[in-house]
Formats: sequence, structure tokens, C-alpha cells
Amino acid sequence: MLRKLLKHEFRATGRVMLPLFLVLLGTAVGANLSVRVLLDTPNKVLDILGGLLIVAFVIAIFGVCVMSMVVMVQRFYKNLLQDEGYVMMTLPVSVHQHIWSKLIVSAVWFALTLIVVGLACLIMAADVGVIHQIAKGFQELFRELYRNLTAYYAINGTALAVEFLVLCFVGCCAMCLQFYASLAIGHSFSSHKMAWSVLWFFVTLFAMQFLGGSGIVLLDETWLHHLLLGWTDNISGMTAMHWSMLALIAGEVLYGAIFYFLTTYFLKRRLDLE
Amino acid sequence: MAVLECKGLSKRYGHTQALDRVDLAVEPGRIVGLLGPNGSGKTTLIKLANGLLTPSEGEILVCGMKPGKESHALVSYLPERTSIPLWMTAGQLLDFYQDFYKDFRRDAAEEMLQHLDISPKQRIKQMSKGTREKVQLIVVMSRAAKLYLLDEPIGGVDPATRDYILSTIIGNYDPEAAVVISTHLISDVEKVLDDVIFINQGRVMLQSSVDQIREEKGMSVDELFREVFKC
Amino acid sequence: MKWQFSNDAPIYAQLIAQIKVGIVSGAFPPGERLPSVRDLATEAGVNPNTMQRALAELERDGLVYSQRTAGRFVTEDKRMIDAAKLGLAENHIKTFLLAMTRLGYQREEILDLLRQETTKEGITDGGSGM
Repeated sequence: MLRKLLKHEFRATGRVMLPLFLVLLGTAVGANLSVRVLLDTPNKVLDILGGLLIVAFVIAIFGVCVMSMVVMVQRFYKNLLQDEGYVMMTLPVSVHQHIWSKLIVSAVWFALTLIVVGLACLIMAADVGVIHQIAKGFQELFRELYRNLTAYYAINGTALAVEFLVLCFVGCCAMCLQFYASLAIGHSFSSHKMAWSVLWFFVTLFAMQFLGGSGIVLLDETWLHHLLLGWTDNISGMTAMHWSMLALIAGEVLYGAIFYFLTTYFLKRRLDLE
Repeated sequence: MAVLECKGLSKRYGHTQALDRVDLAVEPGRIVGLLGPNGSGKTTLIKLANGLLTPSEGEILVCGMKPGKESHALVSYLPERTSIPLWMTAGQLLDFYQDFYKDFRRDAAEEMLQHLDISPKQRIKQMSKGTREKVQLIVVMSRAAKLYLLDEPIGGVDPATRDYILSTIIGNYDPEAAVVISTHLISDVEKVLDDVIFINQGRVMLQSSVDQIREEKGMSVDELFREVFKC
Repeated sequence: MKWQFSNDAPIYAQLIAQIKVGIVSGAFPPGERLPSVRDLATEAGVNPNTMQRALAELERDGLVYSQRTAGRFVTEDKRMIDAAKLGLAENHIKTFLLAMTRLGYQREEILDLLRQETTKEGITDGGSGM
């Protein structure tokens, strides 16, 4: 059943996201054209047109990023907590499957957004001399940085990069779940559901930061602190880096798990559709 | 075995008692009217049976199961308001129902759509309010479910649509399945019902068969209702 | 057939009466197969169980009979249909007489009035009824 949920979820979101991607790629082509041809002409009108095309490209990048967030929140809210919830919440599927389908689809769109934005930038930059030079500069900078880091700290750069990507991905999912949990809690109230949802978002944000912060403070000068101190004496920089990355990932997973639990609880036990 | 059973079922919203120790059982093969004035607890009862609410006390069982994904597969539910996804076309809606419900009879649904001159290519968003309700009724009645829960199926539709809805309900009659129709428009549904349940302020006031009421009281259910709920 | 229901009597009883009229008047001819319970119920806009009950009662009276697989048929027994016809007629007359006596008419006056009315309307014997 999860597969069927995913299929329909992709259908429902794809009809918004895919056209947006197309628009973005379109504006990238336009911006590329503009930089290579239009901005170089003495013709004022073409000049202005070129400027506008570049502005459109920037807006499109921004728009696609924002929309992937909006679609993530809006699908959960409209599909499960508003009128459509009557149909969705009475399907022969579990609440867990509902949440996973929403989460997986959102994560996929986030990843695709990243890829498409990257692709759009490549298109925009193709055959443009100035940008090529800038890009080359950055490329060299990163390569140098990478080489030096690897040599100096004996860091496995590739592993770190993978860990960083995983961290971003898990962080994204945790953020989605935080949105879901806030919406689910807010919509268990009988009125002002959206206002409560927003409030709960900030309440949970604050609560998590408070917990995290107080955790660090409380653990200071305790066994953990000494354990870590003892460790740092014995392990190399690279292992420490890996450990901290893994700890961060584990933290994000825990963060997401808490919100996952909250979301399922409120959808199962405290659902109150209008 | 009863298709729908409530034992000491209560539901409170804060301080409001929406349902108060309701006991009832609906047997297969019956078409039951859940009758009561607005705000009497009809929708709450139906939502509880669909797992959209959780009981405060007591229990509600659908085919012997607590509401959940297993019971959802056996219940066909028509909510009070139109809740099918508006962005879909009628045909896509059929795909959706076919995917999720094994008991969905697509040919029956297509036939009903055709009968009402609704093109499968038409977007639900572009349909009139009445047509949307008809489409939702069509997908709900096209399932071979064990229990149909129809919340105000004839409220706010024109008389011709009302007749169509009622004849669809009769035409889909299955001796293995039960139909629960909640409404306050009693004279329209009376002929279609086997039994009636009068509900007021969360309590069951009367449970009887339509013919029994007519035989014993010498009046229609509608007249009896007006007498019981006189303001 | 046109189905109409009043508020004072059980629906199954009204169904029995109306199907009887259908049989007597020839809308359901002798020996002919009746539509299925579901079709009849849909046509009349009533609950299928109620329709089933009405037909079962008619079966008990002998006006219809069922064949295991083929469905329900109107009886071919002319005498039985005539008896049903007579029964319906008696009912009508009884209600009529009751209403007339309530208005204060005596037996002879009622007969006179009836005679007058029937000649006015041009009703002769042998009319096929409804």
C-alpha cells in the first residue's frame, strides 16, 4: 500500500514541481543566451531584455526552492488535515504509511530540486567566458582546499563529503517531520488550527534547542565530558571528525524520530477534521 | 455478526458531550436511518466508526474490529462534505479508488458516470457542487463494502438528484451489507429504510423498524419524529 | 406502474395493495414473470426488504408463485385474481360507505346518489377498470 500511496503522492506533487523545473531550465537557457549575446549588443532594448532574463532566472531558482518547501507543507496539510483528509484518513492504510509516503516524496523533491538547480546553473554558465573563469577559480580553490585538508589532517575527504550529504538529507527529513508534527498538533485544536500550528512550530523549535542546549550545559564536567576528553587524547583528528559527523547525524535522526512519534500520535488519537 | 456495534460509546469534546453511552447494533442486510436534529451526534457517531475520532469511553466495532486500516477496507464512507481531491479528473479518481480498494467495481462506476453524462476526462474542480457530490457518491457506492456510512447524502441537493441518490442506494442493495444513512430529511428517505435510530443530544431515543412505527403508532416516521423532537 | 404512499399505513401493506391492483388491472398479466425484487424496489423507491416482505405475503395468499430459479410469476388462476379483485372492490365500497354514513346519508339515499352519478359519468358495466 505504501507503493500506491507514493505513486499517487508523486502524481499529485509532480503536477506542480515538474512544470516548475521546466520553467527553471527554460529561464536558465534564457539567461545563458542573455549573457552571451544580448548584454553585449549596443541595442538598449535587447540590453534590458537580457537583464530581465537574468532576473527571471534568479527568481526561478528562488521560486523552485521555496515551492519545494511549500509543496511539502501544503500536501501534508491539505491532503491529510483538510477536506481531503476524510478520504485519505479512511483509506485502508496505516498512519505510518501516510507519514512515510509524504516524507519520502518530499525528500525526493528536495533532492531533485538541488539537482535541477545545479543543472540550471550549468546550463546558464555554458559557453560563458567570465563565468567559466570564475568557476575554474572556485574549482581550483576547492581542489586545493581538499588536497591540503586531506594531507594535513589525514582526513578522508570523500567519506566526509558523503557524511555531510547524509547529514543534510537527514536534517531535511527531520525538518519535514517537525513541520508535520506542528501541523498535526495544531490541527487537533477545534479552532484557529493554522495559528496553533505556527505557534507549535516555534514551541517545538524552542523546546528542542532548549533541550539540546541544556543537555550540553548539564553534561559539562560529567562522565561524558571526561569520556570525550579521554577520547580526544587518543584518537586522531580524522576519527574525531567522523565521530562528530556521525553524532550529528544520530542527533538529527533522534530529532526526526521525536517528531515522527508526535505526528503519528496526534494523527491517530487526536485527529479532529472540521 | 453485527456489521456495526456500539457498546457504551461516549465522546466528549472538552465539556460538550457529543455522544452519551450509546448502545446499538446494525445487522447485515439492513438499511438504517440515523435520524436526529442538527448537532445531535450523528456525524460524531459516523466519524467514530471511521476512526476519524477516538471514543472517550466505551467501544465501537466494525465487523468485530476496532476502526483502523483493516476496517477501512470494509467500510465505504460518504462524508458530510465533498472531500475528493479536486485536482483529479473523474477518471483519475476511479484509478485512485481502484488502487486502494479491492472491492471497487470500476465498471459499475463508469456506467454510473456515463448515465449522468459525466466525462471521465472532466476535472472535478470544474464540476458544479451537485455534480461533485454525485461523483463522490458514485465512487462510494461502487464499492462492494460490508458497511456503507452515508453522512447526509441528500442534504443540499435538488429533488432530482435526491431521487437519483436514493435509487442508487436501493439499486446497490446487498443482503450481506448494511447501509447507515444519517439525515434530518426524513420524509425523503423513509421508504428506503428498514430501521430507524432516533438520536438527540448524544443519546439514542428510539430504535425501531419503519413498518413497526407505522403499524403501532399509525403515523409515518416523519410525523413521529416531529412529535418526538417538537420544539 | 405508479407508486404512491400514504403516511398512515405500513409501507409493505401499501405495496401489497398496489401490486394487487396491478395484477387485477392487468398491469401484471396472469402467468407473467414479475420483475426482480431489486428492480421492483428501485422502481417503487422502497427498501428491498420491504418489497420482499410484500411479495412473500402475496405468495402466501397465492396471488404470485415463485419458481426456484426463474423468479416470481403472477398466478394463472383466474378465480384467484377475481377473488382479489372482489376483495379490493369490497374495501373501496366499505370506505365509501363509511364516509357517506359519516356525512349522514341513509342507505336508500346513497344508492340513489350512486345511480345518478353513474348515469352522469356514463359508466356502463364491463369497463375494464383501472
